[in-house]
Amino acid sequence: MIYVKDLKKEFKKTIKEPGLKGSIKALFKPDKEIIKAVDGISFSVEKGEMLGFIGPNGAGKSTVIKMLTGILTPTSGICRINGQIPQENRKKYVKEIGVVFGQRTQLWWDLALRETYAVLKEIYEVPDDMYKKRMTFLNEVLELDSFITSPVRTLSLGQRMRADIAASLLHSPKVLFLDEPTIGLDVVVKDNIRNAIKKINEEDGTTVILTTHDLSDIELLCERIVMIDKGKKVFDGEISELKHNFGQMRTLRFELQKAADIDLLDYQKKFSATQDDIEIESDGALISVRFNSDAVSVEDMLSYTLSQVHVKDINVTDADIEDIIRRIYRREVSV
Amino acid sequence: MKRVLKLHSIFIAQYLKRLMEYKVDFLIGATGILLSQFFQIVFIGIIFSQIPALQGWSYYEILFIYGFSLIPKGIDHLFFDNLWMVGYQIVRKGDFDKYLTRPINSLFYVIVEKFCVDALGELVMGIALLCVSIPHLSMPFYWYTIPLVLVALVFSTMIYTALKTVTAAISFWTKASGHITHMLYMTNDFSKYPVTIYNNFVRTFITYIIPFAFTAYYPACFFLTGENPLFNIGGTVIAGVVLLAIALFVWNKGVSAYESAGS
Ligand SMILES: Nc1ncnc2c1ncn2[C@@H]1O[C@H](COP(=O)(O)OP(=O)(O)OP(=O)(O)O)[C@@H](O)[C@H]1O
Ligand SMILES: [Mg+2]
Repeated sequence: MIYVKDLKKEFKKTIKEPGLKGSIKALFKPDKEIIKAVDGISFSVEKGEMLGFIGPNGAGKSTVIKMLTGILTPTSGICRINGQIPQENRKKYVKEIGVVFGQRTQLWWDLALRETYAVLKEIYEVPDDMYKKRMTFLNEVLELDSFITSPVRTLSLGQRMRADIAASLLHSPKVLFLDEPTIGLDVVVKDNIRNAIKKINEEDGTTVILTTHDLSDIELLCERIVMIDKGKKVFDGEISELKHNFGQMRTLRFELQKAADIDLLDYQKKFSATQDDIEIESDGALISVRFNSDAVSVEDMLSYTLSQVHVKDINVTDADIEDIIRRIYRREVSV
Repeated sequence: MKRVLKLHSIFIAQYLKRLMEYKVDFLIGATGILLSQFFQIVFIGIIFSQIPALQGWSYYEILFIYGFSLIPKGIDHLFFDNLWMVGYQIVRKGDFDKYLTRPINSLFYVIVEKFCVDALGELVMGIALLCVSIPHLSMPFYWYTIPLVLVALVFSTMIYTALKTVTAAISFWTKASGHITHMLYMTNDFSKYPVTIYNNFVRTFITYIIPFAFTAYYPACFFLTGENPLFNIGGTVIAGVVLLAIALFVWNKGVSAYESAGS
């Protein structure tokens, strides 16, 4: 369905030194810097799959989406969606996809929403009966009724996002691209949008690629994630796999009765473990020890701790996905 | 084509609806343009009160040329004004993205989105000047005069739109090109007067380099004298077609060079 191979996008940036002198110099002999926004990414997506695209700010997620949707021309590499190359026959290609950018609307500022959809119906040549059915369906999942007569400029962020998503689905696209569809939304609207995406994926078999910084979007919607950083892919697989790979990491948290007791604890020496397997952080009397439960059992950790010091409170937790990803972003672990 | 017209009419209808909301805005815009045209005419009047004829052109002939020049300019302004915005901000801010995600030609989409009624100021003034000057002129009239007027208007408008498309498209590489469109429009002022009053350089420039003279002086000259239709009207047609071809080429190249903006 979607096939991406060795995709690259470079931006040339002129570096201007400050001041007038810098401006003049930039005019005659510009210093060019090449930014490798996307640096050789490959992946593929099956029909009906929902793929989560994650990565820190500036990783290149939006740039990939823009190449897949035909907005940007890749510097090199291939992307093929449904057998089509986005840039080759753009008009034909975009008829089969839906695109939403959470950051900016693609709707007409002054048009009432109902009229916006009427215009889109013409643009996509949706037949009348199809259009009616589709509007009823979208109305139901995205609850557009209360603001369908308002001009786009008067909509709240949450309403506008729902309006944009509905607009991208009017022509029943085969693939839906969502770049941060839940940015800046409250919990209820987020839920509403997630449910809508899920429903559309289930009922129409729409393939969905979404980027987000909210990992609950990913956990609720996607089986599979592609993680990129600095334009390169760093992980591609199921969320359960990610959890499994790092799942053996546990965190032991406790509060010491006497903060100075910390000197009595030397986990690394006791279990002859490396820094990778046991890592200790303290904040006054509050201690947290991250450890690899394959190397040291939970039981051993607990009994050693309790035998050495007096604690007020103690617990052991699993690593959650957010924690794992935070550590990958910070490059504490490699995938 | 039918679909294109349908879309265009939807947008115009929407636009007019919105216009009713901002009546004051429209009145100010159109009045501004009418006033500035009016002062230019007064200026021409003052010159002619000093010198009765300019390089062999009478006052009414000059008014005719001037009036004619306003009509293609007004039509272009009325329908194709959004191209200015492409060069000023749409590309720079990355807002051009949205013109690429719909299954219609991006140039058509940009154009159809806006409809600038301020231009009625120019059109009204242009037509008024023709109505005032024609009774004072003994113009030759043939059966093909009217069709040729239409041909001249279509291709003159095409010259404007094509030039504006090219300058707007430059922004795909440079991020902003509004100032270039602006400069282009400054040279346009030359074309409102007979080219014979200019020196060779200006004359060559507005005939062969940026052929604004074909949007006014040359076709108007044919209607005034009936001379040289091949050059006067044919030139307009050729300039329009060649520039449009260049414009489409540059636009398409520009779209593939478009870099969007970070988000
Ligand atoms: N139009 C552009 N011109 C120059 N550089 C750009 C442009 N668009 C993006 N970049 C650069 O490319 C890199 C990737 O940007 P991109 O917008 O794809 O990141 P992202 O993963 O979407 O980040 P975020 O999560 O913050 O939205 C960044 O370093 C950015 O500065
Ligand atoms: Mg982004």
